[in-house]
Amino acid sequence: MERSESSSEREVSTADLEARIRGTEFFRSLVENGSDAIVTIDKESTIIYANRSVERVFGYDPEELIGKKLTAIMPDRFHGDHFASVRRYLETGERELDWNDIYLPAEHRDGHEVPLSITFEEHVYGGDQVFSGIMRDITEQRERQRRLERQNERLEEFAGVVSHDLRNPLQTARAAVALARAGDEEALADLEAALDRMDDLIDGVLSLAKQGRAVGETEPVDLEALAAEAWTTAGSESGTLTVRGTLPTVTADSERLRTLLENLFRNSVEHAGEGVTVRIGSLDGEGFYVADDGPGIDDGDPDRLFEYGYTTAEDGTGYGLSIVRDVAEAHGWTVAAADSEHGGARFEVDAR
Amino acid sequence: MTEGGEERPPPEPRPDREDPATVLVVDDEERVVEAFELWLAEDYRVETATGGEAALAAIDESVDAVLLDRQMPGLSGDELLERFRETGYDCPVAMVTGKDPDFDIVDMPFDEYVSKPVDGDDVRAAVDRLLRIDGYDRRLNELYAVAQKRATLEAEKSGDELADSEEYARLRERQAELRMAVDERVAEMDPADVEWLFRSL
Repeated sequence: MERSESSSEREVSTADLEARIRGTEFFRSLVENGSDAIVTIDKESTIIYANRSVERVFGYDPEELIGKKLTAIMPDRFHGDHFASVRRYLETGERELDWNDIYLPAEHRDGHEVPLSITFEEHVYGGDQVFSGIMRDITEQRERQRRLERQNERLEEFAGVVSHDLRNPLQTARAAVALARAGDEEALADLEAALDRMDDLIDGVLSLAKQGRAVGETEPVDLEALAAEAWTTAGSESGTLTVRGTLPTVTADSERLRTLLENLFRNSVEHAGEGVTVRIGSLDGEGFYVADDGPGIDDGDPDRLFEYGYTTAEDGTGYGLSIVRDVAEAHGWTVAAADSEHGGARFEVDAR
Repeated sequence: MTEGGEERPPPEPRPDREDPATVLVVDDEERVVEAFELWLAEDYRVETATGGEAALAAIDESVDAVLLDRQMPGLSGDELLERFRETGYDCPVAMVTGKDPDFDIVDMPFDEYVSKPVDGDDVRAAVDRLLRIDGYDRRLNELYAVAQKRATLEAEKSGDELADSEEYARLRERQAELRMAVDERVAEMDPADVEWLFRSL
């Protein structure tokens, strides 16, 4: 390939091209430098050829693999099956597997499994029957697929909550209209309350839907400054924010982290009420906690707090802490709830 | 008409009655209960309860049908339904709820599943159906309830979810059994119910 560069500008005849492509060097280069790993074995499963890409996919130099059995790059549990099916194929011509684009894990030198898409070819080399596998590392596709599946699950869960949460206030609204028509003017106030409730739910749902996205650009964020800003929007009218010690710098999407903090603060204000004291402090320098002096978590299962639509507040939507969880998870952090030593609720965001 | 107690009366057509039937409405939303009462008061005697304890106090042999919310603070509608049955009240019950039906409804002893929000027509139609099936043979009633649950789940769940569900398989089996058993009873039924039942088979 490299040698042909000088002639690349010149006109070449079809016959020239044909001849060049038929040249051994062209194929060697194609096979050696292709992004797929290619491994060829003989009838005894001994590796007789491996291209350069095996190093990227399996962590071995090609020279190290040649002469070894193919099982060197297979997880133990497939060894028996492999030898049995090769033997059966050689004896009967019967294929155990589809040879085209099958999914199998291989074993990397460091022991982890690599998901592969493999296509097998059978050919003759130097008079011997040999088998080649063209293997594509599909780790990234798998990861993308898993992300999509998770997102779908989230959407489904979400749709269920939305329809269910809106049904009850809709029922109240319908009831109130009927009562008002029948002459009970006071029912209009309940109609209004039901409409407000639906309005809140929709705001909460929209905000939550936005948090479902992956994080944007992350950068080192001054947590103390960001907490002060979030407190201004979410809590300053109702209580006091105290910073305990020095807060760590966290790597985050600052816009999203601010949303997380606002929702934690709002949660404290909602449950602890006027005059609440909210404390924010460092969690072993690798995260932070937010604690309040409210009634604490009376539910037996603190994990339920983060579920969509779960609330114990009179007019809560149950979305606030779900947003906290979603933002934390989007950053690869974990979030947990517990009772604080001061009797209130304590939320820990672990950024390790 | 249903008597309280372990046994339903022997199969007999529902007698025409002069006095209106009694409907018990249970929902924790005050306004919802009031509206149901407004919608039903013209044709029925309506009793109401906005909580589990009040509902337990209100249920007695005079109640002919119950409209029951599922999610209520304290005693839930599901628990109330169990308690009604345990204490021998087997009048027909419709769950009127904002909760999406899941496979757990297969084992719940109710007759209808009605999704909120509902209006006056929906509520009256549900009560009419409940009172009509109350006069039928016990197995017909069960067939009706089973077919209702099946239709409710089929509207809610995907084909895969249904295929994977043991409860759903059990429901279909029971429906086939009952179908065999009640063939000769079908003549007693209201044509609208017959049509519904057979469309759903």
